[in-house]
Amino acid sequence: MSAAGATVAVSRRGKRALSVYFVAFVALLYLPSVILLIFSFNDNTVPVFPLQGFTTRWYAAAWHDDLLRAAFVRSLKVASLTSVVATAFAVLASYALTRRRFRGRNAITAFTLVPLVVPPIVIAVALLMLFRKGPVQIELSLATVLVGHVVISLPYAMLLLVPRLASIDRSLEEAAHDLGASAVTTFRRVIVPLIVPAILSSLLIAFVVSIDEYAIASFLSANSETYPVYLFGQIRQAQRLPPMIPVATVMLGLSFMVVLLAEVVRRRGDRRLGLEPGT
Amino acid sequence: MAEIAAATSVPEPRALRRLRSAAGTLGMLLPGTGWLLLFFLVPLYYVFLFSTGLRWQGVTKAAAVVNGELTSFSWSLWGGLLGPDVSLNVLGASVALPLWAVGVVEVALLALTLFGARLGSWGRFVVPASLVLLVLPYLALPLGESLHRIAGFTSADNPSMSLFFRSVSMSFTVSLAAVVLAFPIAYFLAFCMGTSKYRWIVIVIAPFLTSYLLRVLAFKVILTDQGLVNTLLFDTGLRSRDNPVDWLLYSQFTVFVVLLYAWVPFVALPIFVALENQDRRLLEAATDLGASRLLAFRRVTLPLAAPGIVAAFLFIFIPTIGEFVTPQLVGGSRGYLYGSAIADDFGQNNDWQSGAVLALFLIGVVVVLTATTSRFLRATGGGS
Repeated sequence: MSAAGATVAVSRRGKRALSVYFVAFVALLYLPSVILLIFSFNDNTVPVFPLQGFTTRWYAAAWHDDLLRAAFVRSLKVASLTSVVATAFAVLASYALTRRRFRGRNAITAFTLVPLVVPPIVIAVALLMLFRKGPVQIELSLATVLVGHVVISLPYAMLLLVPRLASIDRSLEEAAHDLGASAVTTFRRVIVPLIVPAILSSLLIAFVVSIDEYAIASFLSANSETYPVYLFGQIRQAQRLPPMIPVATVMLGLSFMVVLLAEVVRRRGDRRLGLEPGT
Repeated sequence: MAEIAAATSVPEPRALRRLRSAAGTLGMLLPGTGWLLLFFLVPLYYVFLFSTGLRWQGVTKAAAVVNGELTSFSWSLWGGLLGPDVSLNVLGASVALPLWAVGVVEVALLALTLFGARLGSWGRFVVPASLVLLVLPYLALPLGESLHRIAGFTSADNPSMSLFFRSVSMSFTVSLAAVVLAFPIAYFLAFCMGTSKYRWIVIVIAPFLTSYLLRVLAFKVILTDQGLVNTLLFDTGLRSRDNPVDWLLYSQFTVFVVLLYAWVPFVALPIFVALENQDRRLLEAATDLGASRLLAFRRVTLPLAAPGIVAAFLFIFIPTIGEFVTPQLVGGSRGYLYGSAIADDFGQNNDWQSGAVLALFLIGVVVVLTATTSRFLRATGGGS
């Protein structure tokens, strides 16, 4: 397709209109982040126009906010554990689901994806009932948040791992088997190296899902607030808003970097498996 | 290579190997599925137990919740939600209907819309007709403080059900707007860009993968009385400074804008994939046979992209229908939704039983919706 000319899909004028729309769309999409960046340096106790002058005191305030720091550390703990547990479960389950033949395979695959279509608030209140009214009373803590986060990030991990495992040529395993490797050895020496990119992106996605999760954390964290729960409490009150804006700016910047990193990793993996980019 | 040698040294009988393989499969599946059984299905069972308990007498609700008393089985709480009639209001006129009838008709309309094309020549009339009937009660224009509808369901005796219909309306309008706004983006990327399109689609989706709360926070700054929008209105002289547009924040309009903004980048992806996977030769063939671009788009591109569009719609509709964070942060009292009611029942109202009924009802609706639509997606070979 030529870069500027008309095609069967779009006329020249249509293309110009679409590109204007596209530019406006992307600009609007990123506008709120830019606004936050600007206001993070604004010298005013309320985030309103007109701008009042340059300051870094909100950054300092956020840096010295001990509650925020504690909440953030808790979130990091939960998110890293969630990503490891969910990915490990998903690697095992997706291997069984793509390589072994047994009855009810489709049903089990579907079952692992169900939490994706259940609104998180329902999962949150259901777990709250299990822990508080179930056969065993369990104190709400970071561990209960972890339980919920594994439930919601498992489907994402499955969605990343199942297609990748299914795309691996079976003759590789057959060759390993013929050469006398046991199932475990084949898994460890043949399969795992091939799915490393998928494992990495699964770790990343589960981490991102967990660290930003509010519904489950708000119902199950009790006194050990995670960072989104703390943030939520702060941004509901207007006077607590300004120190949260630098936090937002830094976090948004970081997450954009993580997204880009994940994409680079994924592409490298695609190239390794000899796939076309973007599939 | 010591493991390899060890594994081959002992030949196993076939039955034993089979058993070991089955045990291995089970062992690999168990951690994940077991976790979901224990922490997803079992909890839902507890929600069910709570929703079918008798409403507590004598003791205060709060005390009963603390004690975990569930006296005996009863559908009375469900009766409270599902019993009262709802009324369908069309342009001022209203008809009272039992709720179960509404449910049956809605599912039938959904199925006819999705599968109507299989009815052959009838499909040409059935699909658009059922689509219009399905869509109309939920179509809304978010303007001012609330959603404006041409037609809609409400229930005078049942605030929760009214709230539910308002939520469906909100989710529906958000999903529809997101699909409409994202479609040209996906189309542009799929058909007008070279290999750089994969880079651009990541740039479009990236905001979706950043913190949701933080993006909501940005809107608090943009939409306040002295925020970006109002300041622009002041500076251009469209509004006087003492008279800002006050429904920009804390209204249904705000909830609509924030949800739309949050989900629109994500929708571009499934539509992009659907367009990208189309065989371009079909479009060329249509043009060679004399079809105009518009006709080729209507008869080739759009039908082929339909599964992607439906999937995209559902991807937003389902998570937003239980939404309670956005209403709490930017909706105020005017932006209260069904999800907020669930959150409040488990929070400040401390009425877990009512909350359990609301939560299960929501799951029921979502499951029926997903089951019907995923059948459609599988039938048309779209989605994964």
